[in-house]
Amino acid sequence: MKSPARFVYLIIMTMILAACGTQVSRVAVEETHDLSGAWNDTDSRLVSEEMIKDMLDRPWYKTHNQRHNKVPAVIVGTVRNLSHEHINLNTFVADIERAMINSGQIEFVASSEERQEIREERKDQDLNATETSRKAMGQELGADYMLKGSINTIIDMEDKTQVRYYQVDLDLISLKDNRKVWLGQKKIKKLIKNSSLRY
Amino acid sequence: MQSHSRTCFIAMSRTLCLGMALVFLSACASYSQSFSPVERNLFDNDPAKALETLDKQDYPKRDMFLYYSNKALLLRMLGQFSESNKQLELAKNIITEFSATSVSEESSAFIINDATRSYIGSPVEQIMLHIYAALNYLELNDRDAARVEVLQVDIRLKELTQENPDSALSIDPFAHYLSGIIYEDLHEWSDALIAYRKSYEAYLSHNQLYTIAVPLQLKQSLILMSHKVGIKDELNKYEKEFEIKLSDLISKNPGSELVFIFHNGLAPIKREHAIQVLSPVSGKFIRIALPSYESRSNFVAKAKININNEISQTTELAEDIASLQIKTLQQHTPAITARAIARAVAKYKIADNAGDQSPVAGLLVNVIGLVTERADTRSWLTLPAEIQVARIKLPAGEYRLDIELLNDSDNMVMQPQSVNIRISDQHKHYLSWHRIANTISTRH
Repeated sequence: MKSPARFVYLIIMTMILAACGTQVSRVAVEETHDLSGAWNDTDSRLVSEEMIKDMLDRPWYKTHNQRHNKVPAVIVGTVRNLSHEHINLNTFVADIERAMINSGQIEFVASSEERQEIREERKDQDLNATETSRKAMGQELGADYMLKGSINTIIDMEDKTQVRYYQVDLDLISLKDNRKVWLGQKKIKKLIKNSSLRY
Repeated sequence: MQSHSRTCFIAMSRTLCLGMALVFLSACASYSQSFSPVERNLFDNDPAKALETLDKQDYPKRDMFLYYSNKALLLRMLGQFSESNKQLELAKNIITEFSATSVSEESSAFIINDATRSYIGSPVEQIMLHIYAALNYLELNDRDAARVEVLQVDIRLKELTQENPDSALSIDPFAHYLSGIIYEDLHEWSDALIAYRKSYEAYLSHNQLYTIAVPLQLKQSLILMSHKVGIKDELNKYEKEFEIKLSDLISKNPGSELVFIFHNGLAPIKREHAIQVLSPVSGKFIRIALPSYESRSNFVAKAKININNEISQTTELAEDIASLQIKTLQQHTPAITARAIARAVAKYKIADNAGDQSPVAGLLVNVIGLVTERADTRSWLTLPAEIQVARIKLPAGEYRLDIELLNDSDNMVMQPQSVNIRISDQHKHYLSWHRIANTISTRH
């Protein structure tokens, strides 16, 4: 009689102990997991993809192609975080850059920091690289447009319920004459209900 | 005979267990007592040693808010602003995780004491997390991140107002004042004016609870911002009310500004005191333990900043953390007392029942009940007693600051310390100084 009871006891204890340990499972990057309701990787990816798609579908793109007979060159400028969350803007900017380059419809110019590093490398090549492999100075592609933007939030709350409204604004500005050729806006609304009781 | 000896053995074992529990429990020190080694290091002006001591202490999960917040302030005193912000974020996460009422913790708080609940900070402490995070970001030259903290503190203040709409303590004057300074630095004039207005109203309502004057520099900011935004009626109202002329302020405004923030002394410490109250059930006197604040001595009243031996300005009180903590505890004392009485009555009832079965067991249960009746003395003890501010208008350039500490009679109480700063014409320059550490944290 004792051994089945001991066996059941062991199974229960194993289950309890297994429940206490850290569990890790791999999930697809595209899967959405909203944990705290804060801005997350899914928001960053979806907003950047949708906004860049919208940007490339608008009339400025066709006008530029017709006028200059070449695809536009774009650079990403400052994207300001004006929200109430510490959002990692580096990943958001990287998502925007990826969406633009992968579209194949525009040329993309490296940021000012990256350009500086590349110029240093060219200077180094001037001294150390062979003549055939050396890259000349003054051959850089100048951007036609700069993309700037901001992430804003509005929070409304009552007791343990919160409505978070995110608004991402991106402006595409012509470097030649400061004209704003495209204004993009993407909104996300999240309803977050926090529990008022816990164990 | 055998049955009698077995009963005796069980009774003895129980007595022994209870005795051991008694010894174990009586050995437990209250939180504020266990913090004294860290406090000693701070009074020795050694925040690095205090950090080492803090890290050696054991913190149960329910007290992790205090570990993170204390560590954050010690790191800030050492000039490690990024690391300090990581700890502040961890403390914020504790609030999110444990703000829901816990059924198990409430049960143990009812049986044992209030200190068995997870600590998520007093309202003042929750606001201070954001204020210090904002100050850290300002010293790291990251104004947008400081602005995020401004928005977060606004949400926290809204939550506090929803929880306690009639309390003046739900609005924090310095949180709004700092928000105004940050918005002004970012050239968001309208938001700056709104924040300064809220701050002004908060100072007036706080002055009804404890003595705190509206800082002169806030009055000046209200005049300058209402002029900048172009609200003439408001400008005229402030000029008349404060007896300050806009023309005097504009003529003295050379463009840039040094914002000197003086973190003076240490916030008061909670101590336990026991009182006898009449039990509403039995009519007998019962003993309950309640927390009360004890001020920590401080002979420094303010700081005086001499710039290049030409200009000098003294700091003004902007946040009286000590008074805020004391007033907040007073506000919560009726609820704490009611809980303590209910707990004591329950403990006496259990002891009575045990006493009916065995006088020895009754006595022991009674003693355990008394020993476990401890006040919750937890609070963020590395916070300063006061935050003082001096805003000095300066043209861009390099300056040498000599900082003097003065007592109530304006006599210097410590040797002045010097620091060199460079002020740009783009933004305000923020400089924090924690007196207990004698450490100047500078952003260059």
